[in-house]
Amino acid sequence: MSVFVNQNTQVLIQGITGTQASFHGKRSLDYGTKVVGGVTPGKGGTEHLGLPVFNTVKEAVAATKANASVMFVPARQVVSAVREGAEAELELMVCIADNVPIKDMLEVKAILKGTKTKLIGPNTPGIITPGEARLGIFPENIHKQGRVGIVSRSSTLTYEAVIETNRAGLGQSTVIGLGDDMIIGMDFVDAIQAFNEDDATDVIVMIGQMGGLFEEDAAAYYRKLKQKKKIIGFVAGNTIPVGHHMGYVGEVMANGNISVQDKISAMRDAGIIVVDNINDIHKELAKVIS
Amino acid sequence: MNIHEYQAKHILKSYGIKIPAGKIAYTPLEARKAAIEVSSKGPWVLKAQIQSGGRNQGHFIEKSAGKGTGIRQTSSRREISRLAEEMLGATLVTPQTGKKGKTVTRIYVEAFHKVNRIFYTGLAIDRKNSCITLLLAKLGDKSIREIVAQDPDNILRLHIEPNQKLSSKQISEAASFLEFPPRHLAKLKKYLQGLCKAFVETDALMLEVNPSGIDRHGDIVAIDTKLEIDDKALYRQPKMVPLFDASEVEERELRASKYGFQYESFGGSIGCIVNGDGIALAAMDLIRARGGDTACFLNVKGGVDRDKIASGIKLIMTNPRVEGILINVLGGFLRCNLVADGIIAAASEVGLNVPLVVRFEGTNKDEAKQILEVSHLPVIIAEDMEDSVEKLLAAMEEND
Repeated sequence: MSVFVNQNTQVLIQGITGTQASFHGKRSLDYGTKVVGGVTPGKGGTEHLGLPVFNTVKEAVAATKANASVMFVPARQVVSAVREGAEAELELMVCIADNVPIKDMLEVKAILKGTKTKLIGPNTPGIITPGEARLGIFPENIHKQGRVGIVSRSSTLTYEAVIETNRAGLGQSTVIGLGDDMIIGMDFVDAIQAFNEDDATDVIVMIGQMGGLFEEDAAAYYRKLKQKKKIIGFVAGNTIPVGHHMGYVGEVMANGNISVQDKISAMRDAGIIVVDNINDIHKELAKVIS
Repeated sequence: MNIHEYQAKHILKSYGIKIPAGKIAYTPLEARKAAIEVSSKGPWVLKAQIQSGGRNQGHFIEKSAGKGTGIRQTSSRREISRLAEEMLGATLVTPQTGKKGKTVTRIYVEAFHKVNRIFYTGLAIDRKNSCITLLLAKLGDKSIREIVAQDPDNILRLHIEPNQKLSSKQISEAASFLEFPPRHLAKLKKYLQGLCKAFVETDALMLEVNPSGIDRHGDIVAIDTKLEIDDKALYRQPKMVPLFDASEVEERELRASKYGFQYESFGGSIGCIVNGDGIALAAMDLIRARGGDTACFLNVKGGVDRDKIASGIKLIMTNPRVEGILINVLGGFLRCNLVADGIIAAASEVGLNVPLVVRFEGTNKDEAKQILEVSHLPVIIAEDMEDSVEKLLAAMEEND
């Protein structure tokens, strides 16, 4: 088992004929991911990367039985791409695009409300279950199969966490990049819940960063869990001065809790092991596993 | 993107919101003329236009700017050009500018608008609920910061779904929370709906009116306003783009953004080159924990253009504050060899006079290391982030 994606996940690539989609689509295919087709409006009926191309997600799902997609569409098309995927009842969508306007993300969240579609991203490296499926842009060569579940807001620190598990002589069950935009699809709570219930995951690594209240929410959720796996956490951004360039809205929204120290305290209070240096994760992993 | 107070106010005005009469001035003479235009007998308020809050608690670095803050009031028409002259070109430091402060290039001259009561109004993106939240608080005895710290329950939060207006139930809730006179309810409704509409239609991330005031007619007036626009939506906000004030942004930051990179500066002596926000933060945290301090970082993101990467690296190499360079790249989208090429190109052009430690991981890392090895540049290669920070600090100490 693993979370959200595995060798049976049937993947569509939205925007398949683009440059990045072609490059990463091929890498995902070579990795063994079950990519079953692609969507590019106007190019339906053609073939790309040896896969059938469709005009709409609906047609693609009807023909291929796809249940997930990775979107390589430009930021401006994200709202319509998500709407299509949700209407076609995809279970999982991964949005790679950077630069999606926040207002569009509010619309995306409203579209997804009440549907069974889960979104990862935007601005994410995606999700990878080593040896089974790669949806996104992960450098696949650093991943090893194993039993550590990783979830991170930052892309680059996702890789850092992966390397830490390797250093501990362990590997990863599934690695999820949540994306570090203001509004994201899946959050820490969704990921922790899934990892906690997953037979293939023994321990969770959670990488947070300054801004928002995602870590505080995760801590509150974890605290209430009855049966729980250990979480090793790290939060980046302690050096950045707390404050604001303009106005007080951020402070008001967060009830004044805007520092990384606030996040770390909330996590520690909930029983999460938080390291001060990301390169100490492998040491904590070794302790937890033994 | 932040815009100036006077620009934000004029946007609000176009949404039917009342603002004090005001005019922008770039010279003392313009300030004097503006004053006469906005009010025949005053009093007037002269407001330094910088894109940071706390101007009224601020002070100027230059002695010639006098002891006053960035907001000055006068009833004497003759004083106006003197006050403007003091502030224009001077450097204003507020709790939100950092120590360096910001240069005042323009002054907004307003007719003083008397209000009887004030309240706080803020609109923000609510990450938790994926909606827009309107924040309201009664002001008077306490500032909004004090309310957040001491009395957070006395802030009303109203959620607004995207593409929706405030409901009449929410308006009544706001009115009773603010103890707003019922006979002026229609005015409150128009005001709040106007703010919400302005927020949505300008693709704002933050709109704050601190304070909003109620004048003797029962009209609500935006006394001070801050507006931040979502950079990612600027492509569909053509009216906002010209409002960008390059003087608010550092030269190197501007140049980096032209290459599609992010550049931020701090007070220390180490220049970081990274390929992501998270790794930038983690590297800076580690530098601090080991006793160093960051001067600046350059985030080349998923850069794919060799020349742009080299130009970005030059920005760090030529920064006079930088006494050591730390490069941490975790190649995914970005290929490490392009960064190695960039280091060599930049060093051959501007010279490498400070220790440089590089750590590559991910896509094409071995190729990148080899490129640096055969270049014979005095580059130190590190194995992980911690190792890179420690090696750099040691090399910098040796260099001292």
